[in-house]
Amino acid sequence: MEQTATQDIPPSKRPLPVPHSNRDYDFFYQGLEAGKLLVQKCDGCGTVRNPPGPMCPHCHSLKWTPIECRGTGTVYSYTVHYHPPLPNFDSPHAIVLADMSEGFRLIGGLQGARPEDIRIGMPLVVGFERRGEVSTFHFRLA
Amino acid sequence: MGYTVRDKAAIVGLGTTEFSKDSGRSEMQLAVESVLAALADAGIEPGEVDGLCTYMMDNSSEIDVFRNIGGRNLKVFSRISYGGGGACAPVQQAMMAVATGVAEVVVCYRAMNERSGMRFGQPMVRSSPESEMMLKALHSLQGLQTAAAMMALPMRRYMHETGASAEDFANYSIVARRHAATNPNAFFYGKPITLDDYMNSRMIADPFRLLDCCQESDGAVAVVVTNAERARGLRQKPVYIRAAAQGAPVGTLLCTSYYKPDIVPREECQLVADQLYTMADLTPGDIDVAIIYDHFGPTVLPSLEGYGFCEPGEAKDFIKGGNIELGGSLPVNTHGGQLGEAYIHGMNGIAEGIRQLRGTAVNQVRGAEHVLVTAGTGVPTSGLILGL
Repeated sequence: MEQTATQDIPPSKRPLPVPHSNRDYDFFYQGLEAGKLLVQKCDGCGTVRNPPGPMCPHCHSLKWTPIECRGTGTVYSYTVHYHPPLPNFDSPHAIVLADMSEGFRLIGGLQGARPEDIRIGMPLVVGFERRGEVSTFHFRLA
Repeated sequence: MGYTVRDKAAIVGLGTTEFSKDSGRSEMQLAVESVLAALADAGIEPGEVDGLCTYMMDNSSEIDVFRNIGGRNLKVFSRISYGGGGACAPVQQAMMAVATGVAEVVVCYRAMNERSGMRFGQPMVRSSPESEMMLKALHSLQGLQTAAAMMALPMRRYMHETGASAEDFANYSIVARRHAATNPNAFFYGKPITLDDYMNSRMIADPFRLLDCCQESDGAVAVVVTNAERARGLRQKPVYIRAAAQGAPVGTLLCTSYYKPDIVPREECQLVADQLYTMADLTPGDIDVAIIYDHFGPTVLPSLEGYGFCEPGEAKDFIKGGNIELGGSLPVNTHGGQLGEAYIHGMNGIAEGIRQLRGTAVNQVRGAEHVLVTAGTGVPTSGLILGL
């Protein structure tokens, strides 16, 4: 079988490293494998939380349920990475901090937007992709 | 209960190596050279050292430094987390140790080949079971991998909220290089920059341009801390630790404090500032020189706000018109800052604070009695007020 040398694949298409996860974060990557964006919702008080953790900081419940997000949000802030070169990503590479509709923040790469067109407050939508062994997500402007 | 540590501890020795892009020797050698220089400056024998403190990402362990300097009995050894946010915290550890009598001679040090060895500006993708690595990994998979990009996100938000512009960021960048231009130990010695230089420098991580970024540096700085009684009998004029504090408001993470309502790197400064001014019984108006941490120059603006020199959103006006230059109302980063001098992860800022109070700075502020020194922001942070 013929193999493609990594350097022949554009950085943005190269396989991503396998996620570094633990028992608190596993649900998120399992969700991506199923094409879903999941977030923790506390069974005790209903608070949605990110980043993941075992305990609700509000009611201290250790019980929670992963809920599926609508995949919509707005740009709370952003950057465009130019230098140095990033493994697995083309430069410039835009990254947004999104205010998600369910009331939590999420970092994600922004695809398909010119750097000069990005503004705080713009609506976003989540898309899914598979890169090598890894299922991941990205944002696009809605 | 009030604080009981004010002026109980003093910095009595300062040692530095040269700052370069390639030191040509091991980090351990840099460490022990700076530690020995600091002890010689203080007039204290290495065998008397009973405490060693540093902070995260220093590859020279406290115990190995101790072995190399011929130490005998080490009683206090600690290492603070959170990168450059820890810059002032080893001095706080030393202060608490000598003020309580737990130790008598504590050396705080920072030694790194951060340009010729492990480069701080490169993508940071590593694995370990540490809890913080899980979030780092999640961000890495989205292409957020460098310190510049991580800090660019909150500073873009700062621009949105305050109306600060690239020209406003340039104002600090230019002042830092102007101060560095007369500092023979600075990378920008003899090399002031113009607004055109700034605006034409290439984007690194929007809104940060090349001239907003400190340079990866090789070098070391060490300071010796002892109790006030002992300090008065030593060869250098004691630089008293009026106050030292750490601060991490809820939601503060390592360069990615994105999940709290206000992501501008200011709240952690306010928490440190409140403690410092109370502990020192001083106000921002009493500060003669401010050494404000500048891993990325624009973060100086929210720091000035957090430390009470102006209201939130007003730093862009405060830094105009010479206020933060020599001769201004609050000279800032008189050594050129980390943008202009070198990036020894904040420790070179402590060195400049000491020199200002000893009256030996190259850009000396006449009659300086109180110096504020801050550490990295956008991370759990720390700060000092030093005084005569």
